[in-house]
Amino acid sequence: LFLFASLLNGQSPPEKPKLIKCRSPGKETFTCWWEPGADGGLPTNYTLTYRKEGETLIHECPDYKTGGPNSCYFSKKYTSIWKMYVITVSAINQMGISSSDPLYVDVTYIVEPEPPVNLTLELKYPEDRKPYLWIKWSPPTLTDVKSGWFSIQYEIRLKPEKATDWETHFAPKLTQLKIFNLYPGQKYLVQIRCKPDHGYWSEWSPESFIQIPNDFPVKDTSMWIF
Amino acid sequence: CPNGPGNCQVSLRDLFDRAVMVSHYIHNLSSEMFNEFVSTVFLAYFQKKPFRSFIECPNNPNELNLLDRFQDKRYAQGKGFITMALNSCHTSSLPTPEDKEQAQQTHHEVLMSLILGLLRSWNDPLYHLVTEVRGMKGVPDAILSRAIEIEEENKRLLEGMEMIFGQVIPGAKETEPYPVWSGLPSLQTKDEDARHSAFYNLLHCLRRDSSKIDTYLKLLNCRIIYNNNC
Repeated sequence: LFLFASLLNGQSPPEKPKLIKCRSPGKETFTCWWEPGADGGLPTNYTLTYRKEGETLIHECPDYKTGGPNSCYFSKKYTSIWKMYVITVSAINQMGISSSDPLYVDVTYIVEPEPPVNLTLELKYPEDRKPYLWIKWSPPTLTDVKSGWFSIQYEIRLKPEKATDWETHFAPKLTQLKIFNLYPGQKYLVQIRCKPDHGYWSEWSPESFIQIPNDFPVKDTSMWIF
Repeated sequence: CPNGPGNCQVSLRDLFDRAVMVSHYIHNLSSEMFNEFVSTVFLAYFQKKPFRSFIECPNNPNELNLLDRFQDKRYAQGKGFITMALNSCHTSSLPTPEDKEQAQQTHHEVLMSLILGLLRSWNDPLYHLVTEVRGMKGVPDAILSRAIEIEEENKRLLEGMEMIFGQVIPGAKETEPYPVWSGLPSLQTKDEDARHSAFYNLLHCLRRDSSKIDTYLKLLNCRIIYNNNC
């Protein structure tokens, strides 16, 4: 009778949630996110459980708060980089339970760093050489590059404010770059992102700007032959 | 020779530079080979049959979507094919530091012996991997050529690591026993499911161990040569 009444109320077990992805910022911790399905018109609780390769014990998510809504954060204590994780999310309400398909996660291969920080732009005028734009940056805060635990490559892109195409430069391991060819009198936008050896590109850093003075040597002298 | 005859050896810094390059390259190759195996041989085999679960393949988002479509619910909860295929690796008896802190607290000598043990224990399976892949039908050339290259580079790296070991710990003889691989029958079995599963497991273990070697070697390089300021 209760079931029948519930059906009339439009109440049902929750829909199957979907695990979207797991990402680690620096091979030391990681976070997984899921998308809840319809809640069946009832208060619904979500539980993330996981099992590690070679173990039979099933554990529950250690921290639902740090990663924001619908997420699970694995601190250093719970992160092991040499073990595969089999992760599942279950939605539970009064009418029943439904579980997501499992996601297999190998932390070494889900690394997505934060963008690099402290991007600084400076025009340099050496006495004996062409002036240049000096771009410097620091590795993202949550990655330990110094100890060798983690190595990253950088990509820098720049363009005059009104141009449509970016000029990109690849900088493996370095944290500075000199750009010699620039259009005088233009305001340039510069952004940077980074990528670990095995993993995903970070987001682009916020745009930084620099005004190139009118007396800066012209980008490409061959253009002025005509 | 700058230091007189008989004193001619490559500097430790140069040895580390080369070793890091080689181990980085091996990890790339084994990771590419694993992805390629999963997305070609493995998929083709199971497309003729009901699908099993597949692993997340982060290096290629398109591949991930492809693999996502083939998740099989019957195998999902705890009995997934991956779980079945992931027998432990033959090197799992070697205790390896689990995270950065543990690795940093591990002495040079221990980390180096560990790298040497891992490299030696792969000599034999790599030789058989090349032979078996060569004899398999329908395996893309790219997989075979990577397997051949990994086998060669693994020997080069082992040679380099022995020289590094000799310079860092002079006089020490590194003769620790290393884990022996006994998986040849599983690569040759007539049971196709079991054979595919054995290949999957071997390539997965190769990717993991080459990642361990690369990680520990880069740590040692930064610790010994750059005083933890890479």
